[in-house]
Amino acid sequence: MTTRGIDFKALSLKDALDLAVLIEQEAKDRYEEFAAQMDQHRTPEAAKFFRFMALNEAKHGEELAARRATLFGAAPVAVTPAMIFDIEAPDYDAARAFMSPRKAMEAALASEVKAHAFFMAALPSIQDQGVKLLFQELSGEEVQHQDLVKAELAKLPPDSGLSDEDFVDEPAAQ
Amino acid sequence: MSAICEYQAKDYKSDLKPIWCPGCGDYSVVQGIYRALAAIGRPPHEIAFISGIGCSSRIPGYTTAYGFNTVHGRALPIAQGIKLANPDLLVLAAGGDGDGFSIGGGHIAHLIRRNIDITYIVMDNQIYGLTKGQLSPTSQKGRITVTSQHGSLEEPVNPLLYTLAYGAGFVAQASPTDLASMASIIEEAIRYPGFAFVNIQSPCVTYGEEAQQIKGLKAISENLSTLGHNPADRLAAMDLAQQYGRKLHLGVFYRNPEPAPTYDGLIRERQAALSKGAIPRERILDLFIKK
Repeated sequence: MTTRGIDFKALSLKDALDLAVLIEQEAKDRYEEFAAQMDQHRTPEAAKFFRFMALNEAKHGEELAARRATLFGAAPVAVTPAMIFDIEAPDYDAARAFMSPRKAMEAALASEVKAHAFFMAALPSIQDQGVKLLFQELSGEEVQHQDLVKAELAKLPPDSGLSDEDFVDEPAAQ
Repeated sequence: MSAICEYQAKDYKSDLKPIWCPGCGDYSVVQGIYRALAAIGRPPHEIAFISGIGCSSRIPGYTTAYGFNTVHGRALPIAQGIKLANPDLLVLAAGGDGDGFSIGGGHIAHLIRRNIDITYIVMDNQIYGLTKGQLSPTSQKGRITVTSQHGSLEEPVNPLLYTLAYGAGFVAQASPTDLASMASIIEEAIRYPGFAFVNIQSPCVTYGEEAQQIKGLKAISENLSTLGHNPADRLAAMDLAQQYGRKLHLGVFYRNPEPAPTYDGLIRERQAALSKGAIPRERILDLFIKK
């Protein structure tokens, strides 16, 4: 989780909203990648969950983009995807072939915790009151997302305590 | 076209879905490459990406650049030929540690001494992953694999020392433990005018040892800039490179402050010089006609 070239002290509300949209987009793309990886490695339940997460991130991104459009219309975008690295997107290392739904959900939960930490860490540097409120709101939403994932986790049967890796064959030759 | 377009990482991503094992370090490496190429801003049709054989050598297919997944160990000679045939192309070569330092090990020295303007990215996972876990040239001594059941008796090749010793003008190391730094390092390597080598410690989640996974790599990683390393100091770079396998130093080990002329540049100069007094193509047969 890193950023490059973002001056949080000087961040405007327009740029903050654009940044938030990009963060959601990055997470959506990563979950779609993970779903494709799970399809490739015959792990349909984890793929289904990652698609569910991708949809959630897309929905949140659309809401933020609509808000940006209402407030700032077609004003040019000054932030780029190159400025953010894995803010809400799960780390590539979090995926595993044949991972259980529980492991998939735990990976998503860790990402939501990471995103919350990002907004909280940025808050002290922010000068603009509107941006501060937005980041507080977004950090709160990350907590809601954590609750959403926890609710999905609660639907699963109790954890057997066994590792998924004890039951899998080696990946097929590529 | 290239002067007025701004490219984003997604512009370099092809529709082909990677089939690496989930969790493989190469997923981060390809992201780092997309981001570096976006920062460079050359359009995909001005880039050629050449690889050998292995898991990591699938990488050209996952980009929108021209790609050639060649034969084992031969990424560099083919990349060299492409660069000489069309010096305007941005040429990248990639592969694994086995492809680069075993099967293709003999080629690196010659690209370095010629200083061909190519960026060579090695995804070093210290194992042959595609063929299911055999000892590779960078596997640590004592490593137990399917081809070293009682532990390897061999000292590993040190890719950093190897390339520095042959005189490479740019040598760096990166890792998926820090994607932002990896993208910057690849970008810097591409911008270097000459042969540039980037060793990326990219974990194999299936056959790699626990210590070589992201958590293990993070525990031994150290950024060269925080050590106060001067990348213009080749001897200091060689000193640091000796810790390969024990420490994971991330950043630029060496960047020649006065880059040598590139072979492709010299070829162009030679061609220009010789073409001055050359007979035009349409009069070439005159050489064989008695007057």
